[in-house]
Amino acid sequence: MNNFFKNLAKNEFYKKLLSEPLTYVAGAVLLSLFQIAHFAIFKSGWGVTGAFANWGAWLFQLVGGDVSDWGYFASASRQKTLEGGFLNDGGSIRNLGIMFGALLSTLLASQFKLKQIKALRQVVAAILGGLMMGYGARLANGCNIGALFTALGSWSLSGWVFAAFMLVGAYIGSKLLTKFFM
Amino acid sequence: MQEHELDCMGEACPVPLIKTQKKMEGMAVGDVLIVHIDHSCAVKNVPEWARTQGYNVEIDDVDDGEWDIVIEKTK
Repeated sequence: MNNFFKNLAKNEFYKKLLSEPLTYVAGAVLLSLFQIAHFAIFKSGWGVTGAFANWGAWLFQLVGGDVSDWGYFASASRQKTLEGGFLNDGGSIRNLGIMFGALLSTLLASQFKLKQIKALRQVVAAILGGLMMGYGARLANGCNIGALFTALGSWSLSGWVFAAFMLVGAYIGSKLLTKFFM
Repeated sequence: MQEHELDCMGEACPVPLIKTQKKMEGMAVGDVLIVHIDHSCAVKNVPEWARTQGYNVEIDDVDDGEWDIVIEKTK
C-alpha cells in the first residue's frame, strides 16, 4: 500500500492534475468559464463575503442577538435571506463548496497540514488581517471577487474604481506589513 | 561557500518571499539558502522570484504540506 502511494506521487498525471498548482493562464480560463456559467445559471455574479455577513448575523441570533434594526440588514432582500436560513441561501452553500473544494484539493495533493502557531505575531497578523479584510469588504459592498472580478467581467465601471483603490490599499498594506510584521 | 537557513514555517504570503529576498541580499555569491515553508503559495512565488533573478533553485518535499526551497546565489 505504501509503495502504491509512493508510485502515485511520482505519476506524471497525478502530479499535473492533483499535486502541482495549475498555471496562472489555466486558472484564469477556468475562473472565467465558471463565472460565465454562474452568471448564466443564477442570473447573479459570483461573490464571497456577503454570505459571511449573514453567517455573522445568524451566529449573533443564535446567542440571542437581534440584527433587525441594523442598517446593513435593513433592506427587504437581506431580511428575506436572513429569515430563509442557511440552507436556503445559495451564497452560503457556495462558500461551503469553496471550503470543501479547497480541503479536498489539498488532501488529494497530500499537502494537508495543521499548522503550528509559532509566534503571537502570526496570531495578531491573522486576526487583524481577517477583521480588516472583512470590514473593508462590507464597506465596499464586495471583496476582490464580488466587487472586482465579477464587476470587471460584467463591464461595470465600479470594478475599475475598486481596482484603483485596491492597488492603493495593497501598497499601503505591504508597507505596513514590512514595517510591523517582518 | 556558506549554507544559510530561513525558517518561514507558519508564515503566510507574502512574508516568506519578502524574508527570502531580504536574506539573499545579505549573502555572498556562491552561498546557499534553505527556506523552510509550509505555505503552498510560497512554493510557487519564492522559486519563481529566485529563478527570475537567475539563481539555481531546487524544491524538496519534506513532508505533507512542508517544503524546503534550496536557492544558490549564483551572481
